[in-house]
Amino acid sequence: MNCESQKLLKEISILDFAVTEITLFLDTHPCNQEAMRYFTYYNRLKKDKMKEYADMYGPLTLAFAQQTGNDFLWTTQPWPWEGGME
Amino acid sequence: MKEFFSEYQLLNQLPLGMAYVPLQEFTHLYENLEEAFCKGTLFKDLYKPFSGRRCVR
Repeated sequence: MNCESQKLLKEISILDFAVTEITLFLDTHPCNQEAMRYFTYYNRLKKDKMKEYADMYGPLTLAFAQQTGNDFLWTTQPWPWEGGME
Repeated sequence: MKEFFSEYQLLNQLPLGMAYVPLQEFTHLYENLEEAFCKGTLFKDLYKPFSGRRCVR
């Protein structure tokens, strides 16, 4: 796993954290428009980054698994315990 | 002593024996998301690191 993928993975983790935090706020403030805009913006950004990661290094989640070439990368790419994330 | 209780005027309409948490406002968010990530919260008002001794304002 090279520096570039590590950097992208960190960006995704930070975005995922922001989305999770704002979701928790929306749990108790479901009508807060500003919070909803915040959620929509960062959730879109997170998905874009995850798509970018999937295109370059393979899918992080099944939602981003897609046919690339002949094999199903979700299955054939190294698993985390096989050094897939290091 | 009287003045001390005046600010609790509203509270005495609420049932006893219950805990009340003030409603959080959507304010004071960390602009830098990496900072929020390291501090474990998006909201500055919720950043309360343990200081290893009695709470000090």
